[in-house]
Amino acid sequence: MKQEIFRSRWLPWWLSAPQLIVLFLFFYLPIALAFFWAFHLEQPFGGRSEFVGLENFRRVLGSGEFWSSAGATLLYMVLASGTSILTALILALAADRALKLSPLARNVFIWPKAVASASIGVIFVFILNPFLGILAPLNEIWPGFWNPRTNVTHTYIMLFVTNVWNAIPFTFIILLAGLQAIPQELHKAGAMDGSGPWRRLWDIQLPLLTPQLFVVIVLEVADSLSGSFGLIDTMTNGGPGGATNLLVYKIYSDGFKAYDLSGAATQTVILMALVACITGFQYVFLERKVNYDR
Amino acid sequence: MLNKSALSALALMVAAPVAQAADFEFWYGNTGTGEEAIQSACTAFNESQSEHRVSCVGQGSYETGMQKAIAAYRSQQHPVLIQFFDAGTLDLMLSGAVLPVQDVAPDVDWGDYINGARSFYETSTGELFSQPYNGSTLIFYGNRELLAQAGVDELPQTWEGVIEAARVLKDAGIDCPFTTDAHPWRVLEQFSARHGLSIASRNNGYGGLDAEYTFNTGPVAEHLQNLAAWRDEGLVKLDADTAAGKYTTAFNSGECAMMEGSTGSYGAAFAALGDKVEIAMAPMYEGYDRHNTLIGGASIWVMKGHDEPSYNGARAFLDFLRGDAQQIEFTRITGYVPVTNSGLAALEAAGLSGDPQFATAGVGVESLNQPASEDSRGVRLGFYVQFRDIFMEETQKAFTGGQDMQAALDAAAARGNDLLRRFEQTYEGTKLP
Repeated sequence: MKQEIFRSRWLPWWLSAPQLIVLFLFFYLPIALAFFWAFHLEQPFGGRSEFVGLENFRRVLGSGEFWSSAGATLLYMVLASGTSILTALILALAADRALKLSPLARNVFIWPKAVASASIGVIFVFILNPFLGILAPLNEIWPGFWNPRTNVTHTYIMLFVTNVWNAIPFTFIILLAGLQAIPQELHKAGAMDGSGPWRRLWDIQLPLLTPQLFVVIVLEVADSLSGSFGLIDTMTNGGPGGATNLLVYKIYSDGFKAYDLSGAATQTVILMALVACITGFQYVFLERKVNYDR
Repeated sequence: MLNKSALSALALMVAAPVAQAADFEFWYGNTGTGEEAIQSACTAFNESQSEHRVSCVGQGSYETGMQKAIAAYRSQQHPVLIQFFDAGTLDLMLSGAVLPVQDVAPDVDWGDYINGARSFYETSTGELFSQPYNGSTLIFYGNRELLAQAGVDELPQTWEGVIEAARVLKDAGIDCPFTTDAHPWRVLEQFSARHGLSIASRNNGYGGLDAEYTFNTGPVAEHLQNLAAWRDEGLVKLDADTAAGKYTTAFNSGECAMMEGSTGSYGAAFAALGDKVEIAMAPMYEGYDRHNTLIGGASIWVMKGHDEPSYNGARAFLDFLRGDAQQIEFTRITGYVPVTNSGLAALEAAGLSGDPQFATAGVGVESLNQPASEDSRGVRLGFYVQFRDIFMEETQKAFTGGQDMQAALDAAAARGNDLLRRFEQTYEGTKLP
């Protein structure tokens, strides 16, 4: 094949300019502004902006709400990504086996991906409505059996169920693709040596699935930190009593509802650092266990 | 690379609102019947004259309207007129983004506004900062049919009476005797004002930016503890306890027999229940003298940074909305009360004050016109919109059993004071107008 060499030093810049401009406008510029505001006390309508050093960080880190919100965020991160990955893994393992309906299942499980998380939130609020939803008959028998509007545990269960439904498609596709790429010979050899399905799951499928598992863990963990916004905004508004006021929602409500641009920017900087640390941690410690060889 | 024609098209789009000066925008936050009334007022204005043209843009809620106004103001794309609700009064006064309406239209007889409406929106020198628009206040609602089932003939005037009636209703098999959302506008601000109490020092902030919250001791705390106890007894239902999910809907659908609500909810209640709705002034605890309730709803603010033709249009629109006919029409559709003395007189003169469709005008204005105290002028506290959320969040924790009510109120006051201090710092060196 003939190799083309582009002589112009500007051409690569021209070609990548659209992407760079978008990245700059929608990513680097907001981040730079967030850093600026985090060190200033900003009047909502503009006007005056006063440099206050680390005052905003002292205020944010000194407030109980920030820490309870951060605690809830970490809890949500672990449980939401855990439940969604586990469910998707079980479904992928089931769909990978040579069962009659698995081609259909592989197709059907992908559909929820097409629904926005805010829409899913609205739908599930209705499905799980304590007076009108599917659990309402149980409430008639045992009053107070299910009320996600007032019971914090129920609220979280509602969020996890919805999140699992929301997160399954993507995770499922990746895991199923990983499973299908495992050579049949390995299964056959294992079976001939007398190992049953469970044995093969632990010794063949899961070890060979680690690259895909790693990818979905990284993505799901990061997504549970930021992607929970749509669900919380439509389902709980951070309630009851601030119990589901996760950082990403708190930043929104502090900044937009409460005109606290400085506080919201400060928390954005902290959340960014948190996501970077967690992702970095995953790459440093989890990736070691990943087996890329087949 | 962007070509020249694209750039000039972009420039045209940005410049368009300025080019046609007689066109101006008004942003509002109401939905439902309130929105219908506003839109019909806008249409009527545009049809009544040909010089100016207002486009009225609904923002979905007062809060969203304010959020968008902030973003728009920072990028100089803001409307001439914006409607904003009571809680944001001080934030807007100090924002530097608005012009006092009395300066914009000095020739208007601003003294015609009823006292309850004036005191909330005026400066310490008695100058109105914004034009009161959809004025409401807290009143008490009863469903005549449900009350009659339990043999309650009259709406109770005291909290003691409300709870006695609630017990009778409960025994008569009515599952939801009384409903409220325990929003601070109802259980804190209006409660304190009519009982002659303050929610914060310095007369609710009218005396200066160094005010502090004080509601967490005394009658407000007792009232909220009562509400929590009554809820446990099954006499009071909050939003989340009702099948409808919202107290006004629960009342309108006949699920609940009594509710405390804004006069602005009357239009929808009357449409749903007809003459089954009866209203009265909000209940008092025995042993207190009744003071005025506060004006709620919203007022219209004039934003800075527009040209004179736009302000001419804005003046004409404000005049139009202030007119007696418009106020009466607005009251008819929504239940918001007339806010000028001449509007009230015109309603009286037209013989409409006895009409059940206009019932809120009588009760609401009577409640607004009760004897005033230094603490019943209004709420002049910074970041108050956020404080309301904090109050809801903390008391919700108490209602759902996460902490006791006293701890919730103490926490709300402490967090509120942090907000006030930050507000003071944000607007350091600014004098309260």
